[in-house]
This record gives sequence, C-alpha cells and structure tokens, in this order.
Amino acid sequence: MSLRSVRAAVVIGALGWLLSPPVAFASAEVIRRQLESGLTVLVQENAAAPAVAVTILVRVGGRWEREDTAGISNLLQHVLVKGTTTRSALAITDEAERMGGSLSASGDVDYSEIRGAALGRHWRELLALMADVALHPALALAEVDNERRAAANGLRNRLDQPFPFAYDALMARLFPSHPYGVPVLGRFESIARLDRDTLLAHYRRFYRGGRMVVSMSGDVRASEAAPELGRLFAAVPNGDSGPETPMPAAVAALDRLVVTRPAAQAQIMMGFLAPPIGHSDYAAVKVLQTALGGGMAGRLFAELRDRQALAYSTGAVFPARISQGFLVAHIGTAPVNAQRSEAGMRQQIERLGTERLSEAELARAKRYLLGQFDLDRRTNARLAWYAAFFEIVGVGQHFAEAYARSVEAVTVDDVQRVARTYLSAPTVVRLDPSPR
Amino acid sequence: MAAIAAGLLYGCAGRDSSGPFPLPVPSREVLPNGFRLIIHERHTSKAVALQLWVGVGGRDEAPSERGFSHFAEHMLFKGTDALEPGFVEREVEGVGGRTNAGTSFEYTYYYMLLPSARAAWGIEVLADMAFNARFDPVELDREREVVFEEVRLGEDNPRSFLGRRLYEMAFPGYPYGFPVLGDPAELRAATRESLRGYYRRHYVPENMTLVVVGPVHAGEIRGVVARAFGGMPSTGFAREPLPGPPTTPSPRRLTLERPGRQAYVGLAWVAPALGDPEMYAVEILVHILGGSRASRLNQTLRERARLVSTISAGYGALQGGGIVSVTAQVEPKDIEAVEAAVLEEIRGIGEHGVSRTELDRAVAASEAERVFGRETVEGLALAYGRAETVWSLAGDREHLERLRSVSAHEVQAAARRYLTGDYVRLALMPKGPGR
Repeated sequence: MSLRSVRAAVVIGALGWLLSPPVAFASAEVIRRQLESGLTVLVQENAAAPAVAVTILVRVGGRWEREDTAGISNLLQHVLVKGTTTRSALAITDEAERMGGSLSASGDVDYSEIRGAALGRHWRELLALMADVALHPALALAEVDNERRAAANGLRNRLDQPFPFAYDALMARLFPSHPYGVPVLGRFESIARLDRDTLLAHYRRFYRGGRMVVSMSGDVRASEAAPELGRLFAAVPNGDSGPETPMPAAVAALDRLVVTRPAAQAQIMMGFLAPPIGHSDYAAVKVLQTALGGGMAGRLFAELRDRQALAYSTGAVFPARISQGFLVAHIGTAPVNAQRSEAGMRQQIERLGTERLSEAELARAKRYLLGQFDLDRRTNARLAWYAAFFEIVGVGQHFAEAYARSVEAVTVDDVQRVARTYLSAPTVVRLDPSPR
Repeated sequence: MAAIAAGLLYGCAGRDSSGPFPLPVPSREVLPNGFRLIIHERHTSKAVALQLWVGVGGRDEAPSERGFSHFAEHMLFKGTDALEPGFVEREVEGVGGRTNAGTSFEYTYYYMLLPSARAAWGIEVLADMAFNARFDPVELDREREVVFEEVRLGEDNPRSFLGRRLYEMAFPGYPYGFPVLGDPAELRAATRESLRGYYRRHYVPENMTLVVVGPVHAGEIRGVVARAFGGMPSTGFAREPLPGPPTTPSPRRLTLERPGRQAYVGLAWVAPALGDPEMYAVEILVHILGGSRASRLNQTLRERARLVSTISAGYGALQGGGIVSVTAQVEPKDIEAVEAAVLEEIRGIGEHGVSRTELDRAVAASEAERVFGRETVEGLALAYGRAETVWSLAGDREHLERLRSVSAHEVQAAARRYLTGDYVRLALMPKGPGR
C-alpha cells in the first residue's frame, strides 16, 4: 500500500463520516415502575454477558449537609454496607464475593449510592442482599468508629496528593458558603463529631421511597426482576422528607490562590461557575468544554501538550450537577514551566470568547462528546448507574436522546456566547512545588 | 500513552471455554510474514475494538535504551510519512471514538475504539503507525519533555511510587527492576537514529498481533489486514530471551521520606513466572491473603485490629518471573506492627492451610473478573491481545479450569514455598504536612 493511498483513504473516510448521521454505540430499553412508597424501579435487559449490576441512588448528599454535618452522607453509606440487623459486615462481604460480586457504597454531592454486581445466575441473591443493606442497617457503633477513621484517612490522602489537593482548594474558592465547596468526605472536625444517633436520624430522614431509585441492568428478564424488586423494597417508608431547603446562590471568589508545597509537578486549575444539567445552556457548555479540553484533540492537549510540550496531563471537565454546574481546566507541569502553562491555559480559554471555533472543530467536539457518552453506557454497571442518575436529577429516561439533539443543534455562535457568559473571570488555584 | 508498570497480570488474561461464559473461540491466523490476526465477531455493540499488540517493552531494552519502548510508543502518534502529528487522534475523536496506547515490561499496545464502519480505516492507520512513524527530530524533542512530565506525575502519587520502587527492590539488576518510563539520562541521550533504530528492530510483522473484536465480517477484515500488514517482509526477528529466572533478592529494608501525612508500606516476594504450574496456586493464595474485602489481611488488619486504612495483596505473573506484593496505607507508628501481622497471617496459612469457602470465593472472583472484564469489545480484545503476546490463547482459555483444580494443600504449600523466605520491605514515611 502506498503512503499516498493511506492518506487519501483516511481523508475521504473522515469526510464521509462527518457527513453521515451520528451512530449510537449503545441503546437499551428501560422498564420503569413506581412503588406505592414513591420508590422508582428501573430494569434493563442486557444479555451481552452473564452478569448483573444494581445501583441504588438516594437523593441525599453534600448539598443537604451543613458545616457541622459535612461528610455525613458519605459516612452513612460506608456504614450501611458494614452490617444489617441480620448480617454482619463479614457476612455481607462474604456473600457478595461468593456470587462473584461486590458491594460498596459512597456519597456524592447530589446523591448517595449503593452499588452491587454479581454473576448473572445470582441476581436474586444480589437483590436480596442489597435490599437488606438499604432497608435494615445495623449502624453498629464499632463500624461507625472504623468508618469515621477511614474517612479521616481518606481526607489525609487527598491532602497528600497534589491533584486532589488542588481540586479541593479550587472547589472551596468556587463555592464559598455553598455545600458544593465542601469535600464529600467532609471535614476532620465534622467527621469526628458524627455519631450513631446522628447517622440514624439522617438515614430515617432521607432513605424514603420518594427519594430512592433502584436500577438494575444485566442478564435477567425484566418481567421477573421488576416484581422481585417491588417485593424486596415494598417496606421502604413513604414520602420524600418534605420540602427542600433552598440552596444558597453560589458566588465564586474570583481570585488567584497560590499554594507552595513539596511536589514534583506544579498544578494549575482554573474554575468557572457554569449551568446545571437541564439548563438551556448545558449542551453548549458541554461542547465548549470538549473543544477546550476533551480528549487528545482538544485545544489544551493539542496546544499545551502537543505543540508546547508543557504537560503530560491537561484537559477540562464539566460534571453534571443539579444545583449549579462548574467547569474546570487543568494542567500538571514542571515547576519551571508553571508561569508559561498558566498563561497558555488562560490564552486558550480567552480565545473561545474572542474567536469562533471552526466548523471542523465544532463537528469534532460534538462527535467526540456524543461518542464518549455512548461508549460510557455499555457495561451493566454504567447502564444501571445512568438510568438511576437520569431519574434522580429529574431529567427522565429520554434524556440521552434529547441531549444528543441539543448537542447537534449547538452552533459556533452558541459556543462563543457561552464562553463569554461563563468563562469571563476565572477562579485560579496554583500549586507551586517547593523543594522536596 | 501510559506506562503499565505494576500488578500486570494478576488474574491473567482469560479463560474462554470454561465457566458460564462460553464465548466462541476467536479465529487466529498467521500471515506468511509472521503477522498474527485474531478476530472475534461480536454483535452486542456497535463499536469495534482494534488493538495492535507489539512484543516490545522494558524487558527488551539494553542499558542504553532504558525507556525506549515507551518513548517510541509516544512517537507513533507524532506523525508518519503520510500523516501529520495529531491527525490520528483528531480523526478518531472526530468519529466519536477514542485512541491511546500503553507500554509495560513485556508489551506495547495501541488501541482504537471506533464505529464498526470505520474498522478498515482504523486498521490502515494502525499499519501506517506501525511501519512508517516519522520520528521527526523537533517532535522528538517535544515529546521527550512530555515523557518527563509523565515521570513527575508518577512521583507525586504515593501508590505508584511505592509500586515502582518495590519492583526495583524485588528485581535488582533484572529487566523488571528498571522503570518502564526509563532513565532520564538515557532518554536525554536518545536521538532520532537510536530511537528509530529500536523501533525498526522491534516493529516487525512477526512481532505483532492485531486483535479485532466487534460487529465486523471476518472475511472483510482479513482482506484489509492482508493489504495493510501482509505486504511487509518478515525480518527473521526473534525476541531476545530473558536472562535466567530472577533470584530471590537478599532481604532488604528501605525507608524513604516523602512529603505528606500518611505512611505506606510494601512487602514483596519473588514468585512463579507466568505459565509456571504453580502459578495457579499462588494466584488463589494471593486472593485469599489480600485480594478482596473478605480476605484475611483485610479482615484481620483493617476490620479487627484497625491497623491499616487499606491493605491488599497482588500477584504479577510476568514471563521471566513473578512478584507477590502486599501494600498498605498505615499510621507511621504502626508500620512494624503491620509487617509482623502480615507475616503472621502468611504463617497461619502455611501452618493451617485455607478453607473450602476461601477456595470457592477465590475461584468465583476470578470467574467474575473474566466476565466483567469482557463485557465490552475492548475488554475482550485486551484479554486476547495480552494472552497472545505474553502467553497463549490456549493457556488463557484453560485458566479458570486450572484454578478450579487447585487444592487447599497446594495453596498451603505455595505459601510455605514462596512467602516464608526472604522478602524486601519498603516504607514511605511522611515528612510532615508540607505546607
């Protein structure tokens, strides 16, 4: 094969693809049922592998916490899987592992999660185990103590590693006086004060049908799994714990924090408040984020890594949030290049507001964004999680299709407009290494 | 574009014909020039996984070439005679796919995940990268700095730092005792000629395997592969054998200070190589010891004694030799107690053996690892490519059955033979909060 023919084939192929409609990598029908308590059950049949995955999401997390209870949702999740009224912590672990499975839990800002997986032939046992964990927790004092210690160690871990350290510092500056600014793990002081009674009250307030979604994906029949879920979770208390307390408005500190500490690399992060999921600008900001720092062809990677060799890792993230979104651009670089990297990152961000993207760049960003979204929804664990997440954030089971249409409709003018709207003033955190 | 340094083959690749996941055996063929092609038609996804596996890694490097395998891997994305730097990433991402690569001690692999209609295109591009990489001197100088950033990134992560240093201590002077990312001095000295020479020597048809998994037609793929890879002449290449098996290192204890608040400790023993008849017993042993939450170390040290925040055991079964490691995150004052407790658990297995329940749990975990690891086309391709490159598809297929046949007595014997002798210990002590 001649080199010339390779190039021709590549170019023609690429154009052909860009002219064709997007291809979805994944598709699955979601069966949805609502129990009398308000609990939502979701089941997807997927016979691709003899496995099942289950996600239980509860609408409770960092955004419902105060300074003195920071970390309570995450701590509760960890204690839930450490014993029920009839199973010890070891019995839970042992049972899950005998199914070739796993069971774990954690808190997040907008929700808390219990996740389980097993070989498909054990799906009934897995559901029974997860229902027991969610509905009959022991919250044993010894386990509360142990998990409190683990959470404190987790916080120390984050302080020991430059990237999480810088990220947490940025969140605190982006969201001062707002629950999103506090680490999901909490604070050392709040964790130390959380006791069994507080956890139990938190559990009773939030583990209610109206706030819970149980989502399953795997090698099962929905006609069997949905009734089984209904039976196992029938005892969930009704209701949703009453009206929500309004969230405070997020007002970012538009400043530049420089921290000096021993490390091999400098870390530079620039953050911006951005729209939440469901907002009319959400899709345009997703395209913006992808053009800036998504994949290896995003501007940060192409310019700061490929052309200027300033970094190994650089990019941008824009996670989905219910209350208030944010976009973070990041680069890790040699100490000697920190100044140049910060200026380069700032320049790439500013360019988005002053120059329109090319149509080719816009097309790449859209295809990449939607392609990764589809590729991420293929394993049972991810399928179960996404279905539950769409439900818990209130965007519904047709979100993926509506989101794809919104992304396709974004224009270069939209991207420039949202760049000007949301990326005008950064909050900057820079970690400068001191000698180790 | 990453180095895959530690815990490389715990659980090995796959076990196709056994268990409740009877995937069809993939087609495997060898072209006249020695190039190997593995195809698995799988219609559960619209995505196709293309993976080009090359039998080159840290184990193949002379002292003056430390880090060349990984550096060359980066350079394959920096342009070919026909394609500009950045073209591959841009085009793959432009159709919604993804691409990247990884380098280990024993292999380098390049992957593309694409809409299946783009399979032929992707194969042609991979062939171009494999044989016509440009190694432009300007790009080479830039990419060298990127590799140094990758090294710095690893230095800042205590767990990857611990893992890498444990390998260095467990395999002193052996190819696995040198970092895959290389030696800065050798990387600085690398020229276009030396790096391209290394690439030309190792990137030859008989040292490569292409794995294609997805909704494809095997006949069409064969035609594309014959055109893209079949025309390259074989070179008579034979991979240099590894030196004899690594000897058990002298007992060695090292304490290093690092900025931070947490301490880490790692213990390591030399263990059977990949394919060794005792590999299966060691794999079960390591799972029972510290491979899961229900494992002995987790239950004893984390849940009951509360001596550690995290603890785990791993088995890296490599071609030349294996390594069993136990790593834990601990309070600085508890390091000695943790070491003693780990040795006590091992002694317990050596003296009293393991239970049927523990054996069953370990086999179930291995079966599940195989099932969950192969839910996606790229997971399946990874299993095939790794098995073909460092072991064999047959060995991979039989793996689960071999694990099922391991007896409690064999596990006990493995504990006595491999984990009661000399070992190395590395402790990372916090030097203070650092700010």
